[in-house]
Amino acid sequence: METSITESLKQKQTYRLEFFGQGSDYFGIMIVNWLLTLFTFGFYYPWARAKRLKYVYGQTALNDERFHFSGTGKEMFRGFIKVILFYVAVLFIYGIIISVLQTPIFGILFLYLAMFALLPFAIHGSLKYRLSRTSYRGIRFGYRGDRKELTQNFLKWVFFTIITFGIYGAWLLMNIRRYTQSNIRYGEVEFSYDGNGGDWFWLNLKGYFLTIFTLGIYAFWWQRNIFAYFIDHMAMAKGDQKIQCRSLATAGGFFELLVVNFLLTIFTLGFGKAWADMRTQRFLCDNIVMEGDINIDEIHQTEEEYTNAFGEDAVDFFEIDLA
Amino acid sequence: MLNSFEAKYFDGKSSLPQQIKVAFQNDILGLQLQISRDEKINWSLTDLRFERFGNLVEIRNQNYADAILKVENAAFAEEFYSAMKRERRVDIHTRLMGLGLLKISGIALGLLGLIVGAYFYILPPIAEKSAALLPESFDDKIGNVFIENYLEKVEVDTARSMQLEEFASQLKLKNRKSLRFTVVKSEEINAFALPNGHIVVFSGILDNMESADELAALLGHEVTHVNARHSTKMLCRNLAGYMLVSLLFSDVNGVMAVLAENAQQLHSLSYSRNFEQEADEQGLRILVDNHVDPRGMIQLFERLEKDNGVSIPKIISTHPLTEDRKAHMEEMIGTMDYQVVSNPKLVSIFKELTN
Repeated sequence: METSITESLKQKQTYRLEFFGQGSDYFGIMIVNWLLTLFTFGFYYPWARAKRLKYVYGQTALNDERFHFSGTGKEMFRGFIKVILFYVAVLFIYGIIISVLQTPIFGILFLYLAMFALLPFAIHGSLKYRLSRTSYRGIRFGYRGDRKELTQNFLKWVFFTIITFGIYGAWLLMNIRRYTQSNIRYGEVEFSYDGNGGDWFWLNLKGYFLTIFTLGIYAFWWQRNIFAYFIDHMAMAKGDQKIQCRSLATAGGFFELLVVNFLLTIFTLGFGKAWADMRTQRFLCDNIVMEGDINIDEIHQTEEEYTNAFGEDAVDFFEIDLA
Repeated sequence: MLNSFEAKYFDGKSSLPQQIKVAFQNDILGLQLQISRDEKINWSLTDLRFERFGNLVEIRNQNYADAILKVENAAFAEEFYSAMKRERRVDIHTRLMGLGLLKISGIALGLLGLIVGAYFYILPPIAEKSAALLPESFDDKIGNVFIENYLEKVEVDTARSMQLEEFASQLKLKNRKSLRFTVVKSEEINAFALPNGHIVVFSGILDNMESADELAALLGHEVTHVNARHSTKMLCRNLAGYMLVSLLFSDVNGVMAVLAENAQQLHSLSYSRNFEQEADEQGLRILVDNHVDPRGMIQLFERLEKDNGVSIPKIISTHPLTEDRKAHMEEMIGTMDYQVVSNPKLVSIFKELTN
């Protein structure tokens, strides 16, 4: 069906985000991953990771069309090697500092500096790689952030965080999120995030104290508020067409999700984690609503192809969840 | 078109789906996509990658950047999958998944069983043998590192340490490296030997002893740990065990952590039952060779057992059951031919040491 641009301009669209993943399928993937990783003395790890991501993306659908992760184990293996080389280089310099200056303080200072300097590189690299390998209806996602700009801002924000004894940390997190999300593209569609440090700070301060006062019960409301703060401030735009995201998650929903996942994992000696992961993914998809008038049949390829998997593994090393 | 299937096609330029027809082309070993009445494209199987979700197959072509061909049809899915398999375009992961969850789980479980078996029965002897490859200087090094740190944290009784050295010098301990003895002021009823030949005895255990035979038995036991390199063997064993576990869970950092942790806790490194038994047996031989009453070993066990109520001594909790050890010693003494010669010098040093 062809619609002219003027017709679709203000036409309200329906969006339905779904997750079809099954615990038993995912469990199978994990077991095969484990077997192959074992037989290759760990070398299969990047390929295993690609398989896992492919499954999760492939089972996530918007209006019945599935997302796709096209990254390969080979690419991620290269990224992994680069991270190792980086670590070796850092440790080598550390060793030189220690043996030449004979003072561990400078060496440790250098290690911290190297870690902090790597973080923005890792954030940038992983977003760039991951999004370039994500597509939907044959249209690629992309990340257009500038590494230099992010690094400079990041170091500035870290400095503020240190001199405010961590209070600025709330702004640091929200600033990074705003910068990175506002640079995500899907074809001509531009993403944006308008959360700010002040709101985030109060949300967490309130959450922290109320959780203590209620002996932990408030934690589920806190969790709901955090999720809602991420989702409700997320939007997409294409020209003057828009999509606004909204969270439907409730504290009760989080209670059920987290408690059942906990029991599933504990009472199965960890084997139930595959099912727990799938429940989490489904919960996320079921609780995000998108409202707006962007016609998803009318998106065109804009993002260039990109090849570099450095950040993918660097982030994995630091175990930072950017999702 | 013969044998053609309805398909959805995204051309990688726009997000608009196109309804097309697709058919197998046997002469080119591929698929023919009928995009429109006049536009046909051929996709060779060797260029394709696919994902299968039940009856739905999503196919991508490396020469067509992000284009997707989606076919939802059971017959097509089967035919396409076997064609790809013939062309060896199906990776090992997908082929294993094809076995079904039950079979995969069975394989994994069997393998896990094998590994667990290896962990308990094959790994320990190999690891202990491999300890022989490490030079004695390794034992000295880790022992030295530990004792330097350790002695800073505790209170050493210098006078008693010297008396203990003298006591030990009266005995032939069959030691291959020079031994050092230190008495540490502590209520704890314990003693331990480090791989570098440094033996630490707590004042708590000395205060509770009643005869020189007992002390000789204790030293005989601890010296055997040094002579037989038990610490190094345990270290190798723990490390090998951890390496296997980390292989299972693909965790590399853990190996270093284990090495660090074991070096930290060298004094409470729990030996295996075999090692304790070896220390008891060799300790007993040392007593007999020195013409000391071998029943000193049994007295030592009884002492440790009796004091159990006061504080749980590590020497018991980590060692094999005292009753079993006692019975084993009784049995050995029964078969032994020994001669006890009173040693007044040993007794007098012991008296000074424990007054």
